[in-house]
Amino acid sequence: MNVLIIEDERSMATEMEAFLKKAYRCELAANAAQAIVKLEDNQYDFVLLDLGLPDLDGLQLLQKARKLCPEAAYIILTARGQLEDRIKGLDLGADDYLPKPFSLLELQSRMQAIARRRFGLQEALLPLGDFNLDLQKRNVYFEQVEIALSRKEFDLLSYMLLHKNRPLTRMQLSEHIWGNLADEDYDSNYIDVHIKNIRRKLSAYGSVEWLQTIRHVGYKIKI
Amino acid sequence: MKLFTKLTLFITLSKMAVAGLFILILPLLVEDIAYKYNDFYLREQKKKVLQVIQKNGIDAYLQGEENYGSYTMLKEEYISLEPATPLSFHDTIATMRRLVEGDTLTYRVLSHQLQANQRTFLLEIGKKTATISQYNKPLQRVALYVLGGLIIITIVIDLIFTRLLLHPLGKIISTRLLNRRFPFKTQAPPIKTSTTDFRYLDDSLVELMTRINAAFEKEKEFTSNASHELMTPISILQSKMENMLVDTATDEEQQKRILGMMKTLNRLKKIVRALLLISRIENDQFPKNDTIVPSTLVAEVMEELEHRLDEKNLHFSSQLTPDVALPHLNHDLVFQLIYNLLNNAIKYNKTGGSIRVTDERLPGAYRLTIADTGVGIDPRDIPVIFDRFRKAPRDTEEGYGLGLSIVSTIARYYHIQITVDAAIDQGSAFTLTFPL
Repeated sequence: MNVLIIEDERSMATEMEAFLKKAYRCELAANAAQAIVKLEDNQYDFVLLDLGLPDLDGLQLLQKARKLCPEAAYIILTARGQLEDRIKGLDLGADDYLPKPFSLLELQSRMQAIARRRFGLQEALLPLGDFNLDLQKRNVYFEQVEIALSRKEFDLLSYMLLHKNRPLTRMQLSEHIWGNLADEDYDSNYIDVHIKNIRRKLSAYGSVEWLQTIRHVGYKIKI
Repeated sequence: MKLFTKLTLFITLSKMAVAGLFILILPLLVEDIAYKYNDFYLREQKKKVLQVIQKNGIDAYLQGEENYGSYTMLKEEYISLEPATPLSFHDTIATMRRLVEGDTLTYRVLSHQLQANQRTFLLEIGKKTATISQYNKPLQRVALYVLGGLIIITIVIDLIFTRLLLHPLGKIISTRLLNRRFPFKTQAPPIKTSTTDFRYLDDSLVELMTRINAAFEKEKEFTSNASHELMTPISILQSKMENMLVDTATDEEQQKRILGMMKTLNRLKKIVRALLLISRIENDQFPKNDTIVPSTLVAEVMEELEHRLDEKNLHFSSQLTPDVALPHLNHDLVFQLIYNLLNNAIKYNKTGGSIRVTDERLPGAYRLTIADTGVGIDPRDIPVIFDRFRKAPRDTEEGYGLGLSIVSTIARYYHIQITVDAAIDQGSAFTLTFPL
């Protein structure tokens, strides 16, 4: 899938590219003019748009871009976290809105959620070792058996599966679960309790070797 | 006491005092005038008598007798001429007793010595003292009436004028100072007055308020701009660290370091977010059109916090009136307010402790209390726990942090009154009084 990253902060753009290039083909635009040229010539699946551009108001660019490339999914990235901006952005047809600073993990998970929604990329079931995850119904199955996980446990497991083979810190995980309410140190310890519960519930059915603990850091799903 | 009341009192009392003094000295004054006039009258009479004697000789009176005496019908006045031993004395006027036809009466008497026919005579002209003061009483009464009338008229005139004069001051106080809530967004037009002092006062007040506003605006703008500007670099750092964490997957030591950096960055992120939230609240950027049901909201907050109860084996109880609805609030902000208080109640609690949420309906208000059995707060610290960046000494590393500062900003925004009841090791109780 093709992603256009419109971001005037060069090092921000390159970090996003470095993170996303494993799953997507990325191109960069540092201002609205470059972005318009690229949008005229190419088709993108995702446009990641920073609102604070030097040459044009981000929301105006969004309107122009949607005319040039109507099929793409638009995600607004901005340091202006105001509610009105968010509402205006979504009104103008953005698919999602991420206030800076955001985690790249969060960005990718939003992109995947949009991909599932918009492009019908509905792998009915995601395999995870001997288990399968149904993201629509939010269920975990072992063969035909449904395993009861709590809402937060399922969130955690699916997030880790989305970012499989990547070490995830307790902090990143708790920020995903509790968002801005996450308390440093405090909730990250609680992640351990959730992981313990997930292991306990799933290991009653099959091996959970894929759920690895990484010393000092956190956890990783290795498949 | 208001200036107008003071002036009214002063004007009335000072006039009363003057009137009182006048009433006291009036009888003396009238008496004095009456006597002076009488003495003048006696001297005039004497002049007439002397003119007659000079013209017609003393015999015009004596008629060959040794002496002469005459008095009016009611013995009010008398005149007498009698021989006297020559003594050199000037005219005297004195109050004396005289026997007139068997009556001893008090007279005001002018005595004069004169020479006639080679003999010395004593002339006495007297007027009864009772007749001298006969008009004193009615005169005094008239004077009092006139005085009373004048005083009432001047008091009324003074008060009307004072009221007119002070009217602009009252207007300045009512439009500029009373019931004003910071920030003073709009300034009423200048108050109409021809008194330069009031003009100066009004102008100075407007200037001061405008300056305070400008300073406050600047601070808000700075906080907001600084926070926004910080978000982008924080975002870059966070992304770099996230990428580094993957790139160094094999090096445990490096990963530990990166994790430490991420934790620090996270703290920075939280501070900036909190400052931004505070500046947004102060900038009035939150709509106030949600109606909050406290029991529902507390349940919502606890859904996010429940997992933390188990860790310390805490008991949570909430006894809230179900049908309370608090209008004109913002759900997210009140959520944040309650969240921060409940989060602290858990964070600073002791193992096996408890948290109680109770409420009370008051006339015109609703009171919600969050009480815990935690480590409590030193009563000396209570006044500073809501201050931004003020760190009261605490066992834990982070101090009271920005959480309570956010609480107080939100409370101020909605005019919610917060009271804290706490003691070391005795737990804390935060009471929120919502106006209804």
